[in-house]
Amino acid sequence: MSRPDGDDHAAILHALTQEVTAVAKLPGSLRRVAMHANEHSVEVEWAADDPPRTTTASPGQQPEEEERDDVVVVRAPLVGTFYTASQPGAAPFVSVGDTVVKGQTLAIVEAMKLMNPLLAECSGTVDEVLVGNGEPVEFDQPLIVMAPEDAPPEGDPPGAFR
Amino acid sequence: MIRRLLIANRGEIALRIARTCRELGVEVVAVHSTADRDAAVLAFADASVCIGPPAPKDSYLNIPNIVEAARQGGADAIHPGYGFLSEDPDFAEICVANGLVFVGPDPEVMARLGNKAVVRGLMSQAGLPLLPGTEVPVETVEDGERIAAEIGYPVIIKAAAGGGGRGMAVVPTKGDFRAAYHATRAAAHAVFRDSTVYLERFLVGARHVEIQVLCDQHGNGVHLGERDCSVQRRRQKLVEECPSTRLDASMRAEMGAAAVRGALSLGYTGAGTMEFLVDNEGRFYFMELNARIQVEHPVTEMVTGVDLVAEQLRVAGGERLSLTQSEVTLCGAAIECRINAEDPTSSFAPTPGVLERLDLPAGPWTRVDAGYRAGSRVSPYYDSLLAKVVVWGPDRPAVLARMDRALAEIRVNGKGISTSAEFHRAVLSHPVFVAGEHTIHFVDEMLTEEKGVAAS
Repeated sequence: MSRPDGDDHAAILHALTQEVTAVAKLPGSLRRVAMHANEHSVEVEWAADDPPRTTTASPGQQPEEEERDDVVVVRAPLVGTFYTASQPGAAPFVSVGDTVVKGQTLAIVEAMKLMNPLLAECSGTVDEVLVGNGEPVEFDQPLIVMAPEDAPPEGDPPGAFR
Repeated sequence: MIRRLLIANRGEIALRIARTCRELGVEVVAVHSTADRDAAVLAFADASVCIGPPAPKDSYLNIPNIVEAARQGGADAIHPGYGFLSEDPDFAEICVANGLVFVGPDPEVMARLGNKAVVRGLMSQAGLPLLPGTEVPVETVEDGERIAAEIGYPVIIKAAAGGGGRGMAVVPTKGDFRAAYHATRAAAHAVFRDSTVYLERFLVGARHVEIQVLCDQHGNGVHLGERDCSVQRRRQKLVEECPSTRLDASMRAEMGAAAVRGALSLGYTGAGTMEFLVDNEGRFYFMELNARIQVEHPVTEMVTGVDLVAEQLRVAGGERLSLTQSEVTLCGAAIECRINAEDPTSSFAPTPGVLERLDLPAGPWTRVDAGYRAGSRVSPYYDSLLAKVVVWGPDRPAVLARMDRALAEIRVNGKGISTSAEFHRAVLSHPVFVAGEHTIHFVDEMLTEEKGVAAS
């Protein structure tokens, strides 16, 4: 952590800490989370209990474009490089079968040297990860398929921060 | 040498650039918004990247996504086309900073071109004639009257913050000045929240004539003749032709030399257009420099046989121009009509929709640059240019006959879609245009005339 020298910085730091705290409370195979905003970074690490299980789409495979009512397709919000983990060798943020909560980091899309976390828009289960770690993605490309939780949408689930 | 080019544009110009790349063996990376997934250029691309949603600010103006697309696609250069980011010095600079060749002038030169007053001063130093006028705001009505007397009537009072034809008043004589001055200031304040005005000599019966120039990075510059773009409606060009009926060979040579001198003095490189106004006594005045390939560039290509996009790529790659001034010859005549998806009977309102049928002209000496095919959707997010029809002929009468033949071949069907094709035919057959006696006010006069006929 560096230079908390202003209200903006304090706010960024606070948001990062909240996010990491939320992530840390979750079950799953995460071992290490690193979040960066400008000069700030928050890193959390804990032991992995499961081997990562990532479904990777073969290169050039046409992503499924059909809209299904029973799943949520997480799409690339920008052009960049898709990362399933915070750094090479680290366990992925999420794996197929994982339960995630709204606001949880699912992956990162890096563009122009900036890491853009991809956050879950709802709570649910990860059905499929369509893109491999380190692969280029274009805008709107389907990345992750989630089965949303059955719970009614009103009210944020515990741990969500958006 | 450019090996792989990202085309940061859409529609007909993206396709036109891709075609030259194919001919040169340069690989193409195309980009598109989600509204352009069926764009014709994608079939010409070695790679394509979706760069954002339909709104231009999120896609074709989205610099990070475009630069990322270039990196992903392995491009070593970016061609901005026209519009969008083509005259954005920041974009040019970011390209260079990311190791990408920007097909256009140096970012520093582009930044200088953004300030019209600075350019005016530099062109004056380079010996280009400028319209008499003020370069500083006119503060009082007494100052204005004195300056107007020096410039000579008629004068035009323009809002400094104005644009798009608003905030202007033509003052025919001294007696009209005071009222026009106050009215323009009040209008400028109301519309632009800035009452600053300046003065310029008003040219009666002027023509818009522009000179195409090409400059390389080795100090060489050539001009490729003129394009007469006097047929405009609200500063939107509708028809462009070469040669201009108002220029003779000596005037063409004089304007061309001035244009090259001006461009070189700025350190300009690549393809550029110097816009001039030409009065009815054959005097010409520098207006502005457009630092991009222009919509109407095919007119010049038709009469010179020079591929302007190929020259842009040569220059950007550090090579010398492929020709010298003595090797530039203008042969015959050419004219271009911009066929827009718009309704001339409804104030030329854009008419987006799906092109169920799209039959475009073909045949002898007929070039059609279009970014759409049958089945394409004309999106309300982008300009309404459907196709550019360009014809060549040995002389102007032959060209006008050929263009009328070509325009009559256009068939467009689609719910809600209209085109300007029939309006173009009416322009081209109008006696004033046929005689080559039209001015930049021609379309307005023609529309007023039509209204008068309809009312009587």
